[in-house]
Amino acid sequence: MDPITLTQMIMAAVLGALIYTIIGIAPGTDETAVLAPVTLVLVLTGVDPVVILTFFIASIVAKKLTDSVPVAVAGIPGGVMAAPMVEHALVLKKHGRSDLGIRKMASGSVIGTLISVPVSLFLANLLTQFSEVIKEYADPLFFIGAVILALMSRNRWIALASIVPLALLIQGLRHLYWGVGVVPEETNVFISFFLGITIGPVILTLFELLIKDKRDTMERHSHKEIAINKNDRVKEMPNPFKILSRQELGMSSVSSLIGSVIFIMSPVGITILLGELFTRHIKDPVKRASLAISSMDGLTNAAYISGTLIPLIALGIPLSPVAIGPANALFNAPPVFTLDHNMHHILSTTDYIWATIIGAIAALAITYFVIVKYSQQICAFVFKKIPHEAMLGLFFGLVLLLAYMDAGWINIGGVLLIGIVAGVLHRWGVNYGVQFMVLYAAPWIITKLIG
Amino acid sequence: MLDGQGHKSGQIQENSADNIEIWEDFVRIKDLVVALVICSITTLGAYFIAPNEPPKPLFFGLVGALVGFAISSFVIHPKRKLIVNDEKGEK
Repeated sequence: MDPITLTQMIMAAVLGALIYTIIGIAPGTDETAVLAPVTLVLVLTGVDPVVILTFFIASIVAKKLTDSVPVAVAGIPGGVMAAPMVEHALVLKKHGRSDLGIRKMASGSVIGTLISVPVSLFLANLLTQFSEVIKEYADPLFFIGAVILALMSRNRWIALASIVPLALLIQGLRHLYWGVGVVPEETNVFISFFLGITIGPVILTLFELLIKDKRDTMERHSHKEIAINKNDRVKEMPNPFKILSRQELGMSSVSSLIGSVIFIMSPVGITILLGELFTRHIKDPVKRASLAISSMDGLTNAAYISGTLIPLIALGIPLSPVAIGPANALFNAPPVFTLDHNMHHILSTTDYIWATIIGAIAALAITYFVIVKYSQQICAFVFKKIPHEAMLGLFFGLVLLLAYMDAGWINIGGVLLIGIVAGVLHRWGVNYGVQFMVLYAAPWIITKLIG
Repeated sequence: MLDGQGHKSGQIQENSADNIEIWEDFVRIKDLVVALVICSITTLGAYFIAPNEPPKPLFFGLVGALVGFAISSFVIHPKRKLIVNDEKGEK
């Protein structure tokens, strides 16, 4: 590793940690929506892959550390993955202990990171020997993945029923673009469709705003009231091993381990399941809640890191909900990365280890320290200064840009169409995992349909 | 948007109930349109004025998006009302 690359990696890690410390706090920021576009742009601008991986690891660690902060301070999740923790965090808040909540959650995250990095590297090495077999069946595996994720979701029948129509829409647009000649034949438009699915719910709502009757019947609100507790600043340097009790340390380690091993399943689902399972026997509400949030935070962190690293190192195809969502650009960002030529093929094991260690340490050092000390000030700043409209505008701008770059003006219409359909499906309970798997499986599904 | 609803002192007019919910947070339709227009213009504008040698257009576009974000943050006020409780008394 030469000093120049090393310096770039450290800078990327610091940058990722700082950016996602702020973004992580903003309410409603979906992990895929905030991580995927930025990583995509970095990949497309031709940044060194090992630097991008460092940036990505720092970003997910920072994002996972901070998205629990607004949960503890205000009871609103800073991201989808933090949603299961709200209930427990509110218990602590009610007892006037949100400061405790933040320290427990952040410490749980630290444990999750520390456990998942070695476990992922180990599991990835185990899995490598099967990678040739798995790769051979990649196309049907995405389809099977879509079916499994559909069956595991709450609205399984609608999710199952939507697989073929969505595949038809995706392939239909691609064939149209080939037919009118805006993209060369056999070039699969991918990035902008991916983003269209991601911001589908927003696009659908934007279209509904154009319907007068709908607009008039929409529920109107004054302002979102957010109550935050003022608490004393922590003076000493926070140490996760002192903050967590022995039981919390043990439980968050176990849940992190489980989160790493079952990287292929939906992190949110496992979090809810294990969080309830581990804490059911505890009566004292404060103790129960602290144990729940520390082990849940450990688990989400671990699921994120292993869900990214294991498929990346062992397979090179995005076969986990995290890999196919937020980490997608590391696998597939044509023309820079394709499924036959991506980080998996470019980076060595040493690269993975360095990128992960530098990214995780930078994010833990900066973000852990900052949020344990200044959580309340950061929340107040973000809530007061960053309007939700600006966040939506930013994502919308990026989607327009990437849509135009993929296939010209016509594709802006195409992405809006995908957004409307994906938004409706999302509202009906078809989760992102299913839709992304269909996006990958679409060409295979169509060839099988026509026999 | 620029209606200056006494946000400095933290007071907000109670009768301004014209915000709708998108993605877990409240927005005002007018402000949302303003933000979308600003960000679209800055992003695509920067993309088109960039020198035509990849990856510069993409990079310009990204910077344009961030500029749009900054401008929107400046002209639009968040629809949140912050209440700070003193926690000490409850312990």
